[in-house]
Amino acid sequence: MLERQSNLKAWLYLAPALILLSIFIFYPLFNAFLISFFKDVVIEDMSTDGFAGIDNYSEVLRNGNFKNALVNTSVIVFVSVPLSVVIALFISVGLKSIKKLQGVFQTIFFLPYVTNAIAIGMAFAFIFHRDYGLLNTMMGWFGVDPINWIGAGATWGRAMTALLIFSIWGGLAFKILVFLSGLQGIDKQYYDAAKIDSAPRGRIFTKITIPLLSPMIAYVTITSFIGAFKVYTTVVGMFGASMGTSGNPRQMITVVGLVYSYIGDIGEGGTAASIAIILFLITLAFTGIQMQVSKKRVHY
Amino acid sequence: MNEKDIRKSQIKRTVFNVILYTFLVLVALFVIIPFYWMILTAIKSDFDLVVVPPKLFLKYNEIVFQNFADAFERAPFGRNMLNTLIVAGISTVGTLITTVFAAFAFARLNFKGRDLLFIVLIATMMIPGEIFVITNYSTVARLGWLGGNNIPQVYSQALLAMTLPFMTSVFYIFFLRQSFKRIPDELYFAAKVDGTSDFKYLWRIMVPIAKPTIITITILNAMGTWNAYIWPNLVTDNASFRLVTDGLRNAYSELGGRTIFNEQMAAALIITTPLLITFLLLKKYIMRGVSRSGIKG
Amino acid sequence: MEVKLQGITKIFVQKDKTEVVAVKSMDIVIPSGKLIGLLGPSGCGKSTTLYMIAGLHKPNEGRIFFGDEDVTDMAPEDRGIGLVFQNYALYPHMTVRQNIMFPLENIKVPKPEAVIRAQEMADLVGIGDLMDRKPKELSGGQQQRVAIARALVKKPRVLLLDEPLSNLDARLRLQTREEIKRIQRETGITTIFVTHDQEEAMSISDEIVLMELGVKQQVGIPQDVYDNPSNLFSAKFLGTPPINIFEAIIKSKKVVLAGNIIGKSKAEDQDVLVGIRPEGFEVDEKGSLKLTVDMVETIGRDTSLIMVDPTKKGETFRAIVDSQHRIKPGDVVKTNIRPEKMFVFNPNTGQLIN
Repeated sequence: MLERQSNLKAWLYLAPALILLSIFIFYPLFNAFLISFFKDVVIEDMSTDGFAGIDNYSEVLRNGNFKNALVNTSVIVFVSVPLSVVIALFISVGLKSIKKLQGVFQTIFFLPYVTNAIAIGMAFAFIFHRDYGLLNTMMGWFGVDPINWIGAGATWGRAMTALLIFSIWGGLAFKILVFLSGLQGIDKQYYDAAKIDSAPRGRIFTKITIPLLSPMIAYVTITSFIGAFKVYTTVVGMFGASMGTSGNPRQMITVVGLVYSYIGDIGEGGTAASIAIILFLITLAFTGIQMQVSKKRVHY
Repeated sequence: MNEKDIRKSQIKRTVFNVILYTFLVLVALFVIIPFYWMILTAIKSDFDLVVVPPKLFLKYNEIVFQNFADAFERAPFGRNMLNTLIVAGISTVGTLITTVFAAFAFARLNFKGRDLLFIVLIATMMIPGEIFVITNYSTVARLGWLGGNNIPQVYSQALLAMTLPFMTSVFYIFFLRQSFKRIPDELYFAAKVDGTSDFKYLWRIMVPIAKPTIITITILNAMGTWNAYIWPNLVTDNASFRLVTDGLRNAYSELGGRTIFNEQMAAALIITTPLLITFLLLKKYIMRGVSRSGIKG
Repeated sequence: MEVKLQGITKIFVQKDKTEVVAVKSMDIVIPSGKLIGLLGPSGCGKSTTLYMIAGLHKPNEGRIFFGDEDVTDMAPEDRGIGLVFQNYALYPHMTVRQNIMFPLENIKVPKPEAVIRAQEMADLVGIGDLMDRKPKELSGGQQQRVAIARALVKKPRVLLLDEPLSNLDARLRLQTREEIKRIQRETGITTIFVTHDQEEAMSISDEIVLMELGVKQQVGIPQDVYDNPSNLFSAKFLGTPPINIFEAIIKSKKVVLAGNIIGKSKAEDQDVLVGIRPEGFEVDEKGSLKLTVDMVETIGRDTSLIMVDPTKKGETFRAIVDSQHRIKPGDVVKTNIRPEKMFVFNPNTGQLIN
């Protein structure tokens, strides 16, 4: 009977999921907070040299690697996400207003989503190769001298540029898809009405499309920011496990990358946990701000 | 409107369309070029690889397939693909079972603490996975699944370590619950009157009706496994236990400055192709599924 | 199978913890093999009653019997009932055949037998040639028949129908109405159906149970209830056009409306409400009630007169008279009231006064 409480039965149905979640989500969450306050935690057996207070946190905040990682991550977050959102927005609106080849374009634009970030990252690395890469070749047609993008001794700015291009490339597909389905949901009547009022295209875009799509834009932006804070695999794809150009490991390291490198170091469990928690807090604070802002900006 | 105005607006429209298509074609090229470059490099000979300026097209007789053979020799990619399929299969089946049961409880059953538990679960979706990884790594290590001192990890342990932590997913529970909720109550009543137990109702009625969502979960999970790098990389040490992605990265990580981009691209192509083919075959389902999951019910 | 409800009460607790009494101390006996209509306005508790008979809701008080068996605590799947839902609730992923066979599968009928029984039932309801279609490939009327076949195939002890006709268009509704009657006669299954449409209930039910606000108002053969409403609600709910209600008084055993004596009563002197069916007005030169005609609508045999209400300023009411009378708007006509079409009610309790 629907209305009857079926406690025992419900918990039986939930049991498989809850047991797994307890072991692999709830306990780890609790444990990560715990060990972030302990000294020299060996992850393999969780042995420790005792309580450390907030030492792990203060050490992390003073650590140069962490500062690098935070800078790299922030640049990726604050450059690649807004750019890819804007580009994706233009692409999807453009795509929506053409009649021919819509399906073909849509398929092409989605390809990066079904591509392995490591595999395509390697392809990008070779595109940016100084001597044999495609980009320098093409720029050579316009008389630009070869640039050392990501090779040994490449500057941070160039390596970052290459990484950003790759990040934007990889981030477009999902956003275009979501925006397209959002545009699908906008009542055609609005456009018909605007046409009858002979509103120019630009005004239709700013006065109808953007406001009506704003919940979707806010959603995509927030989730993309959260995702971008966790950037790791794209960097490994392009730069390898060292996360840097050759001779300069960790040049491109990200916060998550740093967590994994500490997981790999013996006795650094507490450090890894404290970085992960700092990242969580940053993401949380940032998401909160974002939601506040979009609450004001998002129409209806 | 006179003729001149009509002409003017026609011209305006044509110009707009030209600009629009040009823009779309340029973006399409930007998207496709890396794939083209990957394929092109994969079939370049060692000689053509280092020609300056690099060739952007190959003649028929310049194409070589040696790189693929070399790639397979360097790392067990065939084995890695098989592993990936096995891991994807196990974790998908496991995830579906736990998810279907849990989603059913949340969507259909009435129990104490349901709403609170649901909110707690949803809240965990906000937390970056790295926080869990630290302890989960320790958990599988202490279970002995990573092998011990001088005791190598065995295959079944690697499979367990790679699948068990991912046998359920809060997001999929949430996602499936939404689909289950859309099934009208009358159908449940009808099934009750028709003499069905809850368990049978779930598998005979709800699951088939929620098939699109189940397909989506299967696709997302399989794609996730194919692209999984971090966790498999942490918990497997033996090249023949690896999945495709970490197999690829590890195979070409410790080569220093040596340039074997053509072989590397061949390897990348080997592991990219199955996913692309699957995508082209199941395009409709995948795109619909991803967009549905993206909008979150 | 006789169905008996004894003192059934159902209380729903809402989200904000307030309680709503959906059905209150309901007693009904539904005789075996009859077709019974549960009739009332929406929210009167008729569907809740049906769902309690089905076992989908559990009554807070009272007992439900099928024959001599107390089924109150029995799960719906064990009651042996068939239920047709308002929106049919066909399983969308199954074919017609699979839908009809589903209940048989659950009681472990061997497959060959189940196939035969499903086909027989489909033929009975006239959808025997649609067995391999999916529900969404069927029209509303066809889906309805599938739902009936699915409900009947396991030979239920009781067949329940929840607003079975409300999703059909007008023409189909008439046709399906006859069909349900025919199927019920042929199978002889005790059938209870819920509707808010009085015409529907009156045309096919052997008996109707009239409900309002969770309380049973009147039970009986449809024409009896129409002819002898036991209270104001029954009188108002049955009949199209609806009954006309006037404020009147009883004085010296006479019913007096706006100063005119329109009938007799055995009751004491008091204020009353008088209900007069539209067909209760008789144009007569010597009539006692003088009425002013506001508008005239002649439709074939009958003439509808929209009259000025003598008891309430600015109000009108409707009377139906023979079209042989030539009446123009503005005329004053004298009428007699047919005593069998006039009912006197207590204005406070709504109960009929003799």
